[in-house]
Amino acid sequence: LAAPPSPPGQDPHGWRVPVDCVRANELCAAEPSCSSRYRTLRQCLAGRDRNTMLANKECQAALEVLQESPLYDCRCKRGMKKELQCLQIYWSIHLGLTEGEEFYEASPYEPVTSRLSDIFRLASMFSGMDPAANSKSNHCLDAAKACNLNDNCKRLRSGYISTCSRELSASEPCSRRKCHKALRQFFDRVPSEYTYRLLFCSCKDQACAERRRQTIVPSCSYEDKEKPNCLDLRSACRTDHLCRSRLADFHTNCQASFQTLTSCPGDNYQACLGSYTGLIGFNMTPNYIDASITSITISPWCSCKGSGNMEEECEKFLRDFTENPCLRNAIQAFGNGTDVNLSP
Amino acid sequence: LSAFGLYFPRKEYLENVYIDEPAGTPLLRIHTLRDSHGEVAHFHLCQNLIISRARSHENNWFQIREKTGLLYLSKSLDREDFNMLSVGNWMPLSKVMLYVFLSSHPFQEKECDSATRTTVFLSLMNATAPACSSLTARQLCFTEMDLSFHIKENKPPGTFHQLQLPSIHHLCQNLSISYKLLAAEGMPFRYNENTTGVSVTQRLDREERERYELIAKCTVREGFREMQVEVPFLVNVLDEDDSPPFLPNGTDTADAVVEFNRKEGTVLATLAVYDADTTPIYPLESSRKKYTGTIITDDPWMSETFRVEHIFDEIHFSPNGSQVRGTRHEYKLVLNKSISVTEHRSFLLDVLVNDTEFHGPERSVMLHFNVSILPVSIQFPNMTYQFTVNRNAERFAQIGKICIENCMKFRGVNITYKLLSPNTSCYAVSILQGREDKYGSLYVNDSSVLRRPECKEIQYTIQATDKQSRKHTKTLLTVFLEGTLLKKEEDCPDSCAVSKHHGECEECGGLGVLTGRCQWRQGSGKGITTNYSTCTPSIKTCPDGICDVIESKDPAVCPQDCTSGNIIGGHGKGIGNLGIKSGHGICYCFPRQNCYCEKDDIKEPLCDDVCKTVI
Repeated sequence: LAAPPSPPGQDPHGWRVPVDCVRANELCAAEPSCSSRYRTLRQCLAGRDRNTMLANKECQAALEVLQESPLYDCRCKRGMKKELQCLQIYWSIHLGLTEGEEFYEASPYEPVTSRLSDIFRLASMFSGMDPAANSKSNHCLDAAKACNLNDNCKRLRSGYISTCSRELSASEPCSRRKCHKALRQFFDRVPSEYTYRLLFCSCKDQACAERRRQTIVPSCSYEDKEKPNCLDLRSACRTDHLCRSRLADFHTNCQASFQTLTSCPGDNYQACLGSYTGLIGFNMTPNYIDASITSITISPWCSCKGSGNMEEECEKFLRDFTENPCLRNAIQAFGNGTDVNLSP
Repeated sequence: LSAFGLYFPRKEYLENVYIDEPAGTPLLRIHTLRDSHGEVAHFHLCQNLIISRARSHENNWFQIREKTGLLYLSKSLDREDFNMLSVGNWMPLSKVMLYVFLSSHPFQEKECDSATRTTVFLSLMNATAPACSSLTARQLCFTEMDLSFHIKENKPPGTFHQLQLPSIHHLCQNLSISYKLLAAEGMPFRYNENTTGVSVTQRLDREERERYELIAKCTVREGFREMQVEVPFLVNVLDEDDSPPFLPNGTDTADAVVEFNRKEGTVLATLAVYDADTTPIYPLESSRKKYTGTIITDDPWMSETFRVEHIFDEIHFSPNGSQVRGTRHEYKLVLNKSISVTEHRSFLLDVLVNDTEFHGPERSVMLHFNVSILPVSIQFPNMTYQFTVNRNAERFAQIGKICIENCMKFRGVNITYKLLSPNTSCYAVSILQGREDKYGSLYVNDSSVLRRPECKEIQYTIQATDKQSRKHTKTLLTVFLEGTLLKKEEDCPDSCAVSKHHGECEECGGLGVLTGRCQWRQGSGKGITTNYSTCTPSIKTCPDGICDVIESKDPAVCPQDCTSGNIIGGHGKGIGNLGIKSGHGICYCFPRQNCYCEKDDIKEPLCDDVCKTVI
């Protein structure tokens, strides 16, 4: 049997090199057979579940053709140009195929591979600190100082802080929508060496931990009058392509694993911290629930009250934030600078 | 709810598959529980394997025994198959997913859309099957997935899990692996040592207990070596609607009085209905539909004027010590439109609450709201208004407030206040009302009139009108002018707020002053505080954190409450970004320009010896 001619975008090992979905869409549009199948598939997927769709011959054929096209494995990059457009293309195919009711969805983002360089960056950040001063210093305060010494970080940080603390009226403490947008800008555009230090600084006293908790101005961006049910919050998040993608990314990179030393998929702390940060500025915004220094507990603003028969599922969802060893290890490792000791 | 009652006691199953395991290797067993006796389960696989990232592939390797639910390898998975199924799998671990469907009758061709299904995840291990000796006791005894099950209440007993792992049993036949289920006395579960099956022995009742926590203990013997592993074994009892609604403390009646608050959306009274069943918040609308509350009336006026709002939340009941979840439903009687001040009625309004999914005679309860709508009178308190105004008062000085009886209690009643012109030329004051204000504010409109000697006592008639009913009332207002005219200081600014020091503040007047002189507010001087030092026309109204209707007429009156410009120095902004809520030290403003808050470190020069000699 002759090997099929390799489609564009394959590396010599037969593994597809991921193309971003905007580019893949252009490649597909340039090819009449691909673009017509893509249109067919999108119609097949609209409003139908996977199995009904597969029962239809025409849909099945479209799916088979598209499996060979670059559209099928396309990915998006965090903070890329046209990120939203890219994600729309991604979900237009995947929404119907992944059932939309899966507990964990695969991330539409490219895997974070630039681990080593990041570890060196972390290492350099903590080196040069005088160990004697280190024991007394407030890392969260240092992080704020470091941010203020960088023009970009300072500008975007004061941007989101003033937006998030602007009181509109007695009944409306702030514009949550604008606050979230400003937070997303900050975390998308400021290098992670600044943002991670603010978010994941390690603390030895309560004032420091309170500063850490206050990083995202939780009174506006996080807390609300009532705590919704987590499953309700998740379904609201999944109606928005960006939020859905960030949540899927969090589940992909922070899902606790039994098979690794650190409990993180591929022992990749950087990826987990990155997808945690990516959730800030959406309705699924996570934060520290208190200023405790002994135990770090993270949660989105929701509870499992009123889950009915779905309580188990709700608690499982919530535990991925509140009792997630991968996330906790990643935050602690970053704060202590211990990621450096991990063998690559 | 599915049409038939067979169901899976868990949502997901997980097993490892290795390269080149022989055809016939058993992988895992799936169990079902029944709704009624006599039902027989038939298992079926869908034709497609779902590879993560939305790929799928025809299933050539896995099959399930229709009667027993044993999933096995029908064809060995070789390296080539493995590579093919791993393409597009970016995760460190390749997983494929397949759906197992369930039916109470033998499957026809291609039935792939039954509602009852469970998901099996197969982890494709990039290696041949490991030697039994290389596996840990944990790996030999249990999969990575939690042992967590759900069993519906009120259903017949049955076997719902097998502790032994078919794949390990097949692979490691030389090992002795035995299990035990550790349960407290009297738990309705039984472990069968021969089959390693776990069954529920009786119908469960969620309202009695909704969670059972057991421990599965596994012992591995290999020669003289013995290893033990314990893992939690959890059973959640799923709820169905098997409890009728009931009234806490038997209360089914509440008084609902409409008096001063007549606004659309006002909650008049609330009655609670309890239910031992759970009600999911999500999805909210469907739960609302399941538990309805309807006003029982033929009167179109009543159905237009009132509506019932239903909210519910989770509460806990404690039958025999253990805590189970239940629901408190609250039915609120709400005004659907604003009610006129002239309306006067009393009646009983019945609301029927219906638990639509409960099958029994007591599925509904009747709630009674004892509604009294009282008329309210639009009248001034039994007196005439008298105000005294200093002849030195400036334009926009606030003289006082005009308010009909109970005006501050009103909601949904729109009263407007008007001054009817006096028949003299001494027309010095006006009345103004904010958009939501329930009172009128009297202020100096023309300060030159105050200075005229012939104007001493001015009489006005005030009229208050209810917008909706056009009802109105009148009273008399007398304004007495008093005091002697002060000589105006030269070089004084328009606005009190410009003055930065105590001395210059009280030497000058400005817009809004009551007695011709600005007033100084001495702050506490500690950090950024709401009690900052500042110069103001009247300490009572400015700065009070509210930019009121008179202050907003002119930016020079009270910029401390009303400025939207820059504030330089330590400060906090007020509501809606208006005004200075808190400031550091002394705050002063140039109207239509900036405000400044700063600590005044230079003390005002005391009168020194030279000064004394001059005096």
